Amino acid sequence: MSIELILALMTGAALFGVGIYGALSQTNLVMIMMGVELILAGAMVNLLAFWRYLHPDVAAGQMFVLIIMTVMALEMAVGFGVAIARFRAKGSVEMEEARELKG
Amino acid sequence: MTTQAFFIGFFGLAAVWFGVVVFRTHSMMRSALALLFSQTALGAMFLGMQAEFLGVLQIMMMATEMSIMAIFMVMFMMDPGGLGEMEMTHQKRLSLVAGFVAFTGAAAVAVLFDWGPVVSVAPDAAQQTADLGLELLGRSMLIFETAGITILTAMIAATAVAILPIEAKTTTNEY
Repeated sequence: MSIELILALMTGAALFGVGIYGALSQTNLVMIMMGVELILAGAMVNLLAFWRYLHPDVAAGQMFVLIIMTVMALEMAVGFGVAIARFRAKGSVEMEEARELKG
Repeated sequence: MTTQAFFIGFFGLAAVWFGVVVFRTHSMMRSALALLFSQTALGAMFLGMQAEFLGVLQIMMMATEMSIMAIFMVMFMMDPGGLGEMEMTHQKRLSLVAGFVAFTGAAAVAVLFDWGPVVSVAPDAAQQTADLGLELLGRSMLIFETAGITILTAMIAATAVAILPIEAKTTTNEY
């Protein structure tokens, strides 16, 4: 088994774990988004490792990495849209204060 | 250990370390910068894995994205410098356990699963880019187009959510 593949997959696993911790533990919306970014980064590393070491002749692996990058950008755009709306309505983006979605 | 393994390990470790720093610092600016460094290290790792186009794209996209994130951090936070050392976490124990279980599960699969024969030679950079272009405009055209439409929809939705409603504009003089 290739040490490079294992290293890349372990990096992906670690980023995924750190991202899960961040997304669950943070109370601030922007910090939660940072956790989600790390989770997606972990998935991206795995996809690229699978492409590079198992199927380098199939470009679909790289295409899926591009899709994950797109999802990261979308998450940022929608997240900040929600954050601005929330900040304007309540003056804060603390999710502890957002338990009731009454607006 | 090959040179490639060294660079993958080094930049992978850097990416994980900066990912941890994101949630360990009280300063929001430092958090955003740590995430930027983490994503940049990933870009460098991609370059180490001979995916030149995606590596450069990752570094360029994340530099822009994290700069915007840092600006939003300063705008939204009461204490962006972290001097007050505010506690901004909850359910820490549960989160730690969930993160550890996720890491252990993924790492166990990575180590224990038999991935089959590994290909040591990757296509050269020009060939990769050409293959990716053909893939995007050929077999995966529908996925690519769907992603484009989704980005456009998200941009419109995010702008619609973020702008002030017309009735609020007419009743207040603040904006």
